[in-house]
Amino acid sequence: MPKTDNLQGALELLVLKTLCRGPAHGFAIGSSIQQYSDEVLRVEAGSIYPALHRMAEAGLLKAEWRTSEAGRRARYYRLTPKGRRKIEAEEGKWLAVSAAVAKVLRTV
Amino acid sequence: MWSRLKRTFRDDSRTQEIQEEIDFHLEMETRGGRDTRSARLRLGNPTRIQEETRAAGIYGWLESILQDIRYAMRQFRKAPGLSLAVVASLTIGLGANIAIFGLIEAAVLRPLPVADPDGLVQLEWRNTRIPANANMNCGSMSGARNIQASDSAKGGGRVQLPCISQQVFRAFAARQSGFVGIIGTGRPAEVAISATAEKPAEQVRFLYVSANFFDELGVRLAAGRPFTTEEDRPQAEPVIVVSHRFWSSRLGGDPGAIGRSVRINDKPARIVGVAPPGFFGLIPGEWIDVFRPLGSEPASQVPGFGASFWGVDIVARLAPGASAAAAAEAMTPLFRNLVAETTGTKIEEGLDLIARPAARGLYSGDDAEVSRALWILMLLVGVLLLIVCANVANLLLSRSVKRRPESALRLALGAGRGRLVRQHLVESGMLAVIGGASGLFLGSILARWIHALFQTGQGPGKAFAVTLDWRVSAYALAISTLTALIFGLAPAWTAARSQVSDALKIQSRSVLGGGLRLPKLLVSVQFALSFAALVAAGLLGRSLGNLYSTDLGFDGELVSFATVRAGQAGVPAAGMSAYQARLIEEITAIPGVVAVATMLTRPLDGGPSSQSIEAPGGPPTHLVEGVVNPAASATLSAGGPGFIEVLGLRLLAGRTLEAGEGCALFRSVVRSGGEPAAADASCSVVVDQRFAEVFFRGQNPVGQVFRAVGQPRQIVGLVANARHGSLRGEAPPTMYLQLDAPSSSLTAHLAIRAKIDSGALAAAVRQAVVRIDSSVPLAEFHTQSELVDRLLRTERLLGLVSGAFSIAALALAAVGLGGLLSYVIARRTNEIGIRMALGATRAQVRRMVLGDSIGMVGAGVLVGIPAAWAVGRYLESQLVGLEPVDLSTALLALLALIVIAGMASVLPARRAARVSPLTALREE
Repeated sequence: MPKTDNLQGALELLVLKTLCRGPAHGFAIGSSIQQYSDEVLRVEAGSIYPALHRMAEAGLLKAEWRTSEAGRRARYYRLTPKGRRKIEAEEGKWLAVSAAVAKVLRTV
Repeated sequence: MWSRLKRTFRDDSRTQEIQEEIDFHLEMETRGGRDTRSARLRLGNPTRIQEETRAAGIYGWLESILQDIRYAMRQFRKAPGLSLAVVASLTIGLGANIAIFGLIEAAVLRPLPVADPDGLVQLEWRNTRIPANANMNCGSMSGARNIQASDSAKGGGRVQLPCISQQVFRAFAARQSGFVGIIGTGRPAEVAISATAEKPAEQVRFLYVSANFFDELGVRLAAGRPFTTEEDRPQAEPVIVVSHRFWSSRLGGDPGAIGRSVRINDKPARIVGVAPPGFFGLIPGEWIDVFRPLGSEPASQVPGFGASFWGVDIVARLAPGASAAAAAEAMTPLFRNLVAETTGTKIEEGLDLIARPAARGLYSGDDAEVSRALWILMLLVGVLLLIVCANVANLLLSRSVKRRPESALRLALGAGRGRLVRQHLVESGMLAVIGGASGLFLGSILARWIHALFQTGQGPGKAFAVTLDWRVSAYALAISTLTALIFGLAPAWTAARSQVSDALKIQSRSVLGGGLRLPKLLVSVQFALSFAALVAAGLLGRSLGNLYSTDLGFDGELVSFATVRAGQAGVPAAGMSAYQARLIEEITAIPGVVAVATMLTRPLDGGPSSQSIEAPGGPPTHLVEGVVNPAASATLSAGGPGFIEVLGLRLLAGRTLEAGEGCALFRSVVRSGGEPAAADASCSVVVDQRFAEVFFRGQNPVGQVFRAVGQPRQIVGLVANARHGSLRGEAPPTMYLQLDAPSSSLTAHLAIRAKIDSGALAAAVRQAVVRIDSSVPLAEFHTQSELVDRLLRTERLLGLVSGAFSIAALALAAVGLGGLLSYVIARRTNEIGIRMALGATRAQVRRMVLGDSIGMVGAGVLVGIPAAWAVGRYLESQLVGLEPVDLSTALLALLALIVIAGMASVLPARRAARVSPLTALREE
């Protein structure tokens, strides 16, 4: 089972997964999630920045200042090896749970 | 890790970073086509994002603690007087505790500075066949053959002693198999050492140790090497190992000192090693500066005497995990055989070997006097700290009540109660840390002072290793934390109970009436504890006074005692007689000196020698064959011609001893001339009243004849009782004997009666000693009152320190009472104004305030009475001439308490009476 705070866990997993494609800044991460989920999941700035900082403190991400494509200084996040391991561990669990939930919803 | 912490602490830069990140986000949003307004709406509250982002991460809590600390600092700055009062109280309370703990740690708790101290045991033997109240002593003239009895019975009909003869020790060490290693040591003693030719000789403590001493203990020498087995033999070249403090202070810390020759008792000895820093030996409170091989100990080599000289203490190291009791039991048969072989007596029957833990030093628990005094002081400083806690809690409580509106406001704005409590605990913790740090400082000074009191009249050989080591620091930290929890709890609780609605009500001063029960209770507690502390100090102080006013039995105001260890400076035994004659001549010639006499031992200097007495009507001399009856013994005081007059003993009947009436101490003693002493058919002695009561009850003692250690004595005079040893209890029977020849003892004690100031006399005596022989130093010079001070050093320590602490306790309680009354009056100004407007007189207002004070103090005293009773019981064994429940002491303590409490209440009461109704009402 994933942790009880599975919504937070889900956001973290989404962020990690997004960053598999390469380093990105906070806005880009939020936009990507929105885009990949066909505009279903909208991540608020109020959630994503605390999550990013929390994950950086936990060593899942590494943050650094870079110049963005627009030529402005932006804070980029990239995966650490620990972050990658976390994806492997959490992804399977999440899929299992969501499949189980779907099954319950279909059956009952 | 470091960068993270740095980031957490460097708050501003972090805030800026987050701000920049949010700004970037906003910019990207607008770029996506939205206008600034809707972008901002989408973003939400940027401050909240900022806050939450900051709080995210594992260091969030640390940040909020830092916030609390900053807030606390602000609070301290807002009320500097109060903060200072709190820190000062804490410094006194914690400092006193840390000081006493430091001493207890050094004297009682700290393990020996050796490898694996827990594996060390001291071997003792116990004989259950020896009758009750008999007591055998270690050291000279004792042992299995010659059992000395004394009145300090070790109960239970058995004797337990640590010492054994060197023969038994050597044989036991070679043949035993129950222990990993066996170490033998002598008893610490004094020796004169001169490090260089120019420097005068000085007295230091020294100890005989077996060759394996340092290796077996796992003590690595700072320089040089330990003794070899060859050096641990009678005729070997004399070698020594010196202490690190001696090496650094007397030999300049010179590595070249190894191999150098020094003079010990004016005989050369070569230094082969230096002990590591802080290594004092195996007994806390005995600092050994010189170690010598046990094999060179002279007494055990005297033919025919060595076997009965039981002067070796045995320390054994257990195999890892071995049981001490089992090992001792296994070795008991071997030990019995060895004792039987060397002594040829039947003492070995019922003899058992016992292993006693020695991790904290040899004879641990034997020095009960020092440790008991320290535990009493620990109890007192514990009481003091409780008073401090109550005091500080009250100070903080009054502030926390004042801060109630603020607490309520913070609650109303959404602060958690937990956070409020934490805020208060952080403040208490900070105060405790500051108080603990300054307490550590004060404590180290106090510890040094108290240690100096302990050492009154004693040399550096009697020092404890008082240091602020990690244990003392850990104790300081622990007790500060505990204190913070105790005194911080009440204010934190009050803050947590604040209601949001208080924020509104608080505007009206009159609502604040209640809530004073806890502060008043705390003041009562302070007075209860102060009362107990005062009674304790009163009992100890009066007991000390009783000891000081004990009738010594001799007129000692003008008597001083000088000790010259001429033998140590090379004057041979044969020359001592001439030397002493010169000494008396020179000192008598000093202007102001009335009379001088030599003495065998110095009065008031620990255990005087005693002899067994055979008198026709007296108690039997032996309990059973071979065991002396302690009730049939008397203290012996012996000296040269005129010593009775110099001491100033009061003659009650008969006459004193005249010149030429001297006799020999023992029949076997050989006179300096070489011819044996005569049979001493009529040796005249003077006895005291107590002696007459015990041995010649109901008879005129003058003219009576008795035997002392088998030798005939005739009584020619009766003097008043005098005390030569302890000032406690009843003085033992005493007899006075004049020596026929100056003692061949290498140490000369002189009693000097003089009419001049003792300082001038000391200088003159010192000059006289140097005039006779410049290589002989004046070892000691004491007036009689200095000897009494030294004898009573523990009692003095208890009396002075407990007095100081109880005064501090009472002062703190008084400050607490005054502070609370002022606070109450400030809060009731309005009410007092109304009362006065309605016709209350100033006297009535004063009475109201004083009534408050009497209520608090009275409740405190009521609770304090049983506490004081318990304290008195606890101190019972320390008291002299007092009952543990002493009414006059209690009344005296009560009087002091009332006077101080009255002084603390008068000022606030007068201030209350001066309240003008108009101002008071306007203040609303």
